[in-house]
Amino acid sequence: MTRTLIDLRPVYVVGIGLHRYQRLSDTTYVELGLTAVREALADARIPWSEVQSAYTGTALVGMAASRPMLRHLGATGIPMAQVENASASGSTAFRQACLEVASGICDLALAVGVDKPAPVAMAPGKTNLRDLTGARVVPFTHFALLANDYMNRNHVTAEQIAMVAVKNNRNGANNPYAQRQKAVTLDEVMAGPAISGALTRLQCCPVGEGAAAAIVASDDAIARLGIDRNRAVRVIASVTRTERVYREAKNFDAELTGETVAQAYREAGISARDLDVIELHDAFTIEELLYLEAMGLCAPGEGARMIESGAADIGGQCAVSASGGLLAMGHPIGPTGVGQIAEITRQLRGEAGVRQHPNARIGMAHMVGVGAVCVVHILRHD
Amino acid sequence: MPERAAAQPSLYSAESADPPALNGGRCRACGYVFFPPQSYGCESCGAPPQHLEPVTLAGRGTLHSFATVHLHQAKGIEAPFTVGVILLDDGPAIRSILTSRTDEGLRAGDRMISTMVPQGRDDQGREVVELRFQKAASDQG
Ligand SMILES: [Zn+2]
Repeated sequence: MTRTLIDLRPVYVVGIGLHRYQRLSDTTYVELGLTAVREALADARIPWSEVQSAYTGTALVGMAASRPMLRHLGATGIPMAQVENASASGSTAFRQACLEVASGICDLALAVGVDKPAPVAMAPGKTNLRDLTGARVVPFTHFALLANDYMNRNHVTAEQIAMVAVKNNRNGANNPYAQRQKAVTLDEVMAGPAISGALTRLQCCPVGEGAAAAIVASDDAIARLGIDRNRAVRVIASVTRTERVYREAKNFDAELTGETVAQAYREAGISARDLDVIELHDAFTIEELLYLEAMGLCAPGEGARMIESGAADIGGQCAVSASGGLLAMGHPIGPTGVGQIAEITRQLRGEAGVRQHPNARIGMAHMVGVGAVCVVHILRHD
Repeated sequence: MPERAAAQPSLYSAESADPPALNGGRCRACGYVFFPPQSYGCESCGAPPQHLEPVTLAGRGTLHSFATVHLHQAKGIEAPFTVGVILLDDGPAIRSILTSRTDEGLRAGDRMISTMVPQGRDDQGREVVELRFQKAASDQG
């Protein structure tokens, strides 16, 4: 018999921390990571010596990233490992930390995501499988093709898709950890420069450097260390899936998200209506529309109209990408999925300041990665 | 007859009849037809390589979606160029560079056919040709 996360002993996020996402600088990955971890420890009000296991989500730093960074908090001898899962590296590190606590193997675990832009060897390029377009199709063109299909099928304009960037940059302008902290108008988004198809520069996420950390704990650790229960946010679902063979011409990104989210709803015992905040993989504007539909937040083809109506705004039906999302907060790869957990935790605690979505109780984090993988977590504040 | 070389010989033959066909694969166990060809195992049913066979896919299909790439940083790739997703009549959906640099006059649902486009010469002096897709003339589709 198998069990889901919610059947195991409860696991809670008790500490969050970030290093601002920013353009590549001379700051070492060690400084980035330590900043985020120290902030998370301070947020949880616990010393490093209480952390019993650490997972580092990273795709670009290189082999053996964890200990050369974390030893500067005190070399306590705890298990450490790197987790690489493309854009979902941080989300997967967080999942491993949650599973380790929920299973009872440890009481207090750290997930930290850290990365700096760097050339990286991509395994899919080593399969010896070629396609007709080769290096000429990069992610922004993959999503430009989906945008074109979306516009054709749903009679949606390029401006309607671009509205996602207006909303997310408005949110990012109020996030001190965001790489882009400037509100933009629809005209500014549309003015370009054009990148691929309907996508302009501001409709593509910035990939910079940064770090994010989340500390998860059991009830035992919360009681033993006197951690503030009112600020602990429970993780009620952790689901990850990979792409299957779908019917031709279908959109595999949306199919994979739909399947993964449906399983997460089942395991958490909730439905799309129950979600107050969502952080999703909006690396490109079109993705937010496709995923909102795949998540059941609106009917198929209604994503653009949902954005226009304000239903996805902070204060709307469900705040989507309240952090600014990948589009404004940024997508430094390893940190991104952990940064989503930080934002949702902040929102559910009611500590998000000017970005606060009123009465937020249930939130969902969603990342996809090349390969293709999808990782979803649902958090609840009781 | 001047010798020609395919830019990607695993995907099509330089001497293929007009319109040039693509090299695909088919699983004898489940019937799944795929592109590009591979002999690792069937993605659909898991059948091992001995169940996979080469299959020729006609260079004809329907345009599903397209995008003109305005900016490209890789060396030797000159923007703009246009990429299309084509649903081949023989099954798989593929992505191909289109012969037109921009998307002018293209619509989803257009009938498309393959064609060979010269790409210069290789170090043996042979003309290198690349398979691309273009909108079919009304009597070609
Ligand atoms: Zn098969």
